[in-house]
Amino acid sequence: MSGSITIRFRKESGQQIEVQARPGISVMEAAVMNNVSGIEAECGGACICATCHVYCDQVTEGVLPEMSGEEDDMLDMASAERRATSRLSCQLRVSDKLENAVFVIPENQF
Amino acid sequence: MSAAVIIGASHAGVQAAASLRQAGWQEPVILLSAEKDYPYHRPPLSKGYLAGEKDEEQLLLRAPDFYREQGIELRLEDPATSIDPVARKVVTRSGSFGFEKLLIATGSKARPLPLPGAGAQGTFTLRSMMDARALRDGMRQASAAIIIGGGFIGLEFASTAIRHGLDVTVLEAQPRLLSRSLPAALADFIRDRHVSSGVRFRFGDQVAAFEVSGGRVTGVRLGDGQVLAADLVLVGVGGEAETALAQSIGLDLAAGGIHVDGHGQTSRPGIYALGDTAAFHNAYATAPMRLESVQNAVDQAKSAATHIMGGNAPLVAVPWFWTDQYDLKVQMAGLARPGCTEIVRGDPADGAFSVLQLEGDRLVASYTVNRAADHMASRRLISEAPAVNVALASDASVPLLRAVKAAA
Repeated sequence: MSGSITIRFRKESGQQIEVQARPGISVMEAAVMNNVSGIEAECGGACICATCHVYCDQVTEGVLPEMSGEEDDMLDMASAERRATSRLSCQLRVSDKLENAVFVIPENQF
Repeated sequence: MSAAVIIGASHAGVQAAASLRQAGWQEPVILLSAEKDYPYHRPPLSKGYLAGEKDEEQLLLRAPDFYREQGIELRLEDPATSIDPVARKVVTRSGSFGFEKLLIATGSKARPLPLPGAGAQGTFTLRSMMDARALRDGMRQASAAIIIGGGFIGLEFASTAIRHGLDVTVLEAQPRLLSRSLPAALADFIRDRHVSSGVRFRFGDQVAAFEVSGGRVTGVRLGDGQVLAADLVLVGVGGEAETALAQSIGLDLAAGGIHVDGHGQTSRPGIYALGDTAAFHNAYATAPMRLESVQNAVDQAKSAATHIMGGNAPLVAVPWFWTDQYDLKVQMAGLARPGCTEIVRGDPADGAFSVLQLEGDRLVASYTVNRAADHMASRRLISEAPAVNVALASDASVPLLRAVKAAA
């Protein structure tokens, strides 16, 4: 795939999955299209179910869009512990700035 | 034959297949779809897809190779045509499949409007990817749209169409929008948001016919004879459960759907019904009802898969639902009950507020506009049912979860 971006998903157990993602789609969609389990994304990216929660690594520092109030509210109610690096992956767009970024998937999304 | 056969690769059907595998079902899983497209999310069809913000790949529920990897035999364009409940087999367009467990997830279909001129070119309904493709193409050639029915589909399409540059008129037979699903304060707020973007509304009119010329729709004729011109008409007057197969084998029906228990099981053991097509007496409802929502589809599928595997996890989830129109995210949780009291949190003039419905001092339903935290808190309060402090709940500056009375 030309122009695709490599991003990685890591389970808290340590297992890591590398995927090639097309710029412009969301990180959640990249996970779903590559059968990454643990990203449930029940609502399909409408920012309403909080089941695509991820923890972001340092590659993403300063390159992710600012969090909307809505995402902030949903993360407060996410099933797994909220951390400073928590985001909803449906709200993050894949771009070249995310090359080699790692997203850690929490143990549970419900 | 010990397969699980799922009729309908809807959100419910796909979730059931995935949940069965997750729960350790070792036998074949056959997922029958009438459609030619890989299973997809329906809610974005009226929103992001039509607006051109999402393409078809982004709508997929799962990657195409998910099904093979999970050992799920997804059979596209192979609809079930009959069920033999004694021989326990399903006949499809291509052949027949024996089952040990049968899951009916046939969803719902757009209610037709059987009026003169129905089906003319330029008239649409919106349920499926095929519908959405046709409507998207229709929008490109159209200049004036009439939407029959001011429900969620119609209003979502209105918000997309007006931003696309179409002239948009919504015809609603009732005196106000969404009278069965939203409190008046919220429905009127949504109407005003549409009006401010240029959408016109007509309330209380009957539609008598589609005006057609040369096979193409040219407008809508009202009951009083008045003709409104349009080159695109979307009919959004609700959905009906697809129950024909269930009826053919005598399954009990309720509220227009297939009557199921908390495990999704129908009146015939080993046969389940899930999602839009199922009617269930939810713990939050006063009678069996159908719920057309992603949440209900997913949760019913999980309960059924658990039950099939010998477990016991009947559906107890608080129903929730959402709609996106313009910059408004409207989220609903719980179910209204007759005789509820209503409180408003926040000021509609700020563009973000919530309407809460209480029975006594327990929260039973919540409707929020751009207040996601209230929505999420409501789901918890409806489920756990603590006594709510009305004064605190009315104060939008107090987090809703704190608006509970101290335990006695």
